[in-house]
Amino acid sequence: MAKTINLTLHVWRQKGTQDKGRFEVYKAEGIDTDMSFLEMLDVVNERLIKEGKEPVAFDHDCREGICGACGAVVNGRPHGPMDKTTLCQLHMRRFKDNDTITIEPWRARGFPVVKDLVVDRSAFDQIMAAGGFISVKTGSAPEANTVPVRRQDAETAMDAAACIGCGACVAACPNASAMLFVGAKVSHFGLLPQGRVEAKERVRGMVARMDAEGFGNCSNHYECEAACPKGISVSTIARMNREYLSSELAE
Amino acid sequence: MLDAKIPAGPLKDKWTSHKNKIRLVNPANKRKYRVIVVGTGLAGASAAASLAERGYNVDAFCFQDSPRRAHSIAAQGGINAAKNYPNDGDSVYRLFYDTIKGGDFRSREANVYRLAEVSNGIIDQCVAQGVPFAREYSGYLDNRSFGGAQVSRTFYARGQTGQQLLLGAYSALMKDAGKGTVTMHPRAEMLDHVVVDGKAKGIITRCLLTGKISAHAADAVVLATGGYANVFYLSTNAKASNVTAVWRAHKKGAFFANPCYTQIHPTCIPVHGDYQSKLTLMSESLRNDGRVWVPKNKGDSRRPSAIPENERDYFLERKYPAFGNLVPRDLASRNAKEQCDQGKGVGPTGHAVYLDLGESLGRLGRDVIRERYDNLFEMYERITGMDAYKEPMMIYPAPHYTMGGLWVDYNLMSNLPGLFVLGEANFSDHGANRLGASALLQGLADGYFILPYTIGDYLAVQPPGKADTGHPAFGEAREAAVRRTGDLLKINGKKTPDEFHRELGRLLWEKCGMSRREDGLKEALKKIPAIREEFWRNLLVPGSGEEFNQTLERAGRVADFLEFAGLMVRDALERKESCGGHFREESRTPEGEALRDDANFAYVAAWEFKGAGREPVLHKEPLAFEEVHLATRNYK
Amino acid sequence: MNRVKSSIDKKQVVAATGLFLILFVVAHLAGNLFIYGGPEAFNGYARKLAGLRPGLYFVEAALLAVFLVHLDATARLVLENLRARPVGYRQGHSAAGGSFASRLMPWTGAAIVAFVIWHLRDLTFVDRAGPAGILPDGRGYGLFGVVYNSLGNPVHGVLYIAAMLAVGTHLSHGIQSFIQTFGLVGEHRLPAVRRVSNGLGILIALAYSSIPVYVQLSFGAFK
Repeated sequence: MAKTINLTLHVWRQKGTQDKGRFEVYKAEGIDTDMSFLEMLDVVNERLIKEGKEPVAFDHDCREGICGACGAVVNGRPHGPMDKTTLCQLHMRRFKDNDTITIEPWRARGFPVVKDLVVDRSAFDQIMAAGGFISVKTGSAPEANTVPVRRQDAETAMDAAACIGCGACVAACPNASAMLFVGAKVSHFGLLPQGRVEAKERVRGMVARMDAEGFGNCSNHYECEAACPKGISVSTIARMNREYLSSELAE
Repeated sequence: MLDAKIPAGPLKDKWTSHKNKIRLVNPANKRKYRVIVVGTGLAGASAAASLAERGYNVDAFCFQDSPRRAHSIAAQGGINAAKNYPNDGDSVYRLFYDTIKGGDFRSREANVYRLAEVSNGIIDQCVAQGVPFAREYSGYLDNRSFGGAQVSRTFYARGQTGQQLLLGAYSALMKDAGKGTVTMHPRAEMLDHVVVDGKAKGIITRCLLTGKISAHAADAVVLATGGYANVFYLSTNAKASNVTAVWRAHKKGAFFANPCYTQIHPTCIPVHGDYQSKLTLMSESLRNDGRVWVPKNKGDSRRPSAIPENERDYFLERKYPAFGNLVPRDLASRNAKEQCDQGKGVGPTGHAVYLDLGESLGRLGRDVIRERYDNLFEMYERITGMDAYKEPMMIYPAPHYTMGGLWVDYNLMSNLPGLFVLGEANFSDHGANRLGASALLQGLADGYFILPYTIGDYLAVQPPGKADTGHPAFGEAREAAVRRTGDLLKINGKKTPDEFHRELGRLLWEKCGMSRREDGLKEALKKIPAIREEFWRNLLVPGSGEEFNQTLERAGRVADFLEFAGLMVRDALERKESCGGHFREESRTPEGEALRDDANFAYVAAWEFKGAGREPVLHKEPLAFEEVHLATRNYK
Repeated sequence: MNRVKSSIDKKQVVAATGLFLILFVVAHLAGNLFIYGGPEAFNGYARKLAGLRPGLYFVEAALLAVFLVHLDATARLVLENLRARPVGYRQGHSAAGGSFASRLMPWTGAAIVAFVIWHLRDLTFVDRAGPAGILPDGRGYGLFGVVYNSLGNPVHGVLYIAAMLAVGTHLSHGIQSFIQTFGLVGEHRLPAVRRVSNGLGILIALAYSSIPVYVQLSFGAFK
């Protein structure tokens, strides 16, 4: 059952944000096809450490596709070739013996490279702080079943809320735009009755912050949707556009 | 010596009367106090947000790049609450009783009752925050049943309940960060505590981006740093989850309670290779519609579909007819291991049993099953390459949660004044075994509804703003952290941190896992110092301390696991009874089931650190049960 | 323009002006199709249109303004987009089907600008009563003759068709972009919107392109 393959990796190495960076070539030999992509990198890194070299830095944590920490552009696709799959859930059985794999970090002005494949995504936190919430103070909530929520709305809100904040949408967008991330959050809250109260302030605040963080503009390529490991729909962007316009008109 | 400060009075009035009596901090004074919160999972994020809302200045720290990545996010199944929406007889008392019984009568009555009491408020709070819980067509909230309970009381958001609850708490946290009432410190790892005049007054952190080690002072320190299941190397925890924050607190005087209490989760994807970096859990909600079985004959290597019904052993249904596949986690796990140890395990390694949803697929149809579990089936296929709609899943137990943690009193304060411990990092509510869907409950209960009250009782008598990083204690602690980091870098040996970690993990899984024996534990106690000794002699960490260095981060965490492991085994050795998830092979009934020993072990084991290389001292907090009758758990 | 601050504002300006331009393209096409009716029909339509002056000047000025605003907002967006990714990927890969037209938007847009300038010089700012309107049979056909003389030239014809392909490609993305940018439909209708948008783009390009083909085929009749 277990099969092993040999790979050639072209990995982006960059010492720090100011460093120019370059590709380095590594051989990854005897890779078990049952390994995850990150386990393959672990193996490569263990060998690098043993050789006294610096291992490839990459963010990762839960390794089950939910924390959103991991991610790299593999052969031109954020999170690699498998649809709706984070890098940690990509397994090596997707690759063939003697494949060459190019591994790059998310590239966007809004996500400066920290080191190698690690980027700084704190811009997403800043966007959240600018309106990605419902301002209910602890203890002031009414009984949970006071306001029924249409099941369809709750489901669509959940679809949008499934965002893991990994940033693949930005990485995939030809314009490095963060619209899918912001659209997902605006949609999640905007679809629920409890989120309507602050809907106008939310969309304006989050969009202003998104722009200030240096992301590009949406020009409807929909690469974000194709790259999203959680399959978040670009209809969330449409909803945000609509909410934005109505918030502007209401001003 | 150990005063749990449990309020007097009838169980159901304790929390209310306590809240009415404890000291309060005047609203105008709250802004004069600074509170450090370490960890931004459910407990940390909810606490930081709630404290900031009340007016305290909060500094929140996490080692991840964003507070939203904390491992609470990975919890799948749900959160319990005693709403009784399904009208099936649930109540605060029943949730309390189920939790205390599930914990095999090794938790505090008063804490557990309070947990059940505040559960409903948590659901209200989360719904108001916009957590998209599953709903019925009526628009009202849906519930499902979960292991260890005979009522449907679990609220859920598909298979991503932890994610949605964490994002709720995270959004509250970011709201306050935006207002400036919380200062976020992401990518900051806590390396040590600072104790001034016997009180917790600050922490030392290392900025993971630059390597800068700095001191932070506050009037109180809140630890919400999660559990230590990664001591086993392979666990369902996130890769970076670690024991450092609580272990450092322990070394500075906080007692560590019940370190041997670890939960082994029954429904994980089996191990498949040496390179494996972690184990993946699938929500045990699968057990609602799945049947666990092994072939009746040893070494039956036929495909599962080729094994006829009468040659399958549905061992949980057979042994526990009342609860069947929904027995508590420890029973499900231990029985699976037992079947595998008898040679009936399936899969390439023989370390797996089937979890079969075939019958439910037939009964409910593919659409219903897809709606309930599609993300789990997808996850299973991604990892194993197998389609669970066609063949039964294979599962095996894996370390998942740790009930042990820093000892805290009823106010969630450790014996070190000013140090509060929340969520999985404390020991308080789950006894020797945690009930499914109660971890999320406890994290949020501690953070939203308990600490914001109880911290006031401590702060009210502290003059505010007295903590200052200029105090020599801060300088010393900072220096020690710098030295230690330097020590890890200069060994320049031959083995990576992961190699030591794997070695430690294997040893603990064998000797201090679901079932333990005195000789095995003693053997582990001998071997751990040897691994530790080699670690400090033969570790290899490339790079420097003044940069982003993930190997260095790992090395520091493994170093603490190596110290902590000794205490964990020591505690397991001391507890000669079988209880909850801890099967002590010497302590069993004639039928081979776990035998609890209430006469000798109805206590909380709280360990005091006495210095490196010296025996820790055991303090016992007796568990008094006024309300419940100590029954033998019977799920037959 | 002070109110146009955010990226979404700018997108919506592009989309709104784009819609105006789409309507113009469709109206213009409808007028152009009079060519199939022969010289009288076509010139009659042109005269009728000219009879709308001076009101028409107002419409033309508005059209020019909209065109310039569309260009200005787009140029800003494109520049911002270029700045948003200072270091590019070594290996590009598109995973979203049909993003070909969207990626070409700035190029098809630039091609359309060039075409419009040429088109105006070629057909609008000429003396229709002069030699440009005289066909090989020696008779003056006014605007009809101008069109025939221009598009009867194979090089002009091919360029015109190329430009119309650019227009069609631009519109195939532009129409759906308009709907997306104003958030007019939900998730389930998006695929249909994309199909309709692509279909309209192709239809418009084909209808326009049919004119030089028809001119080439029927040019002999005027010898």
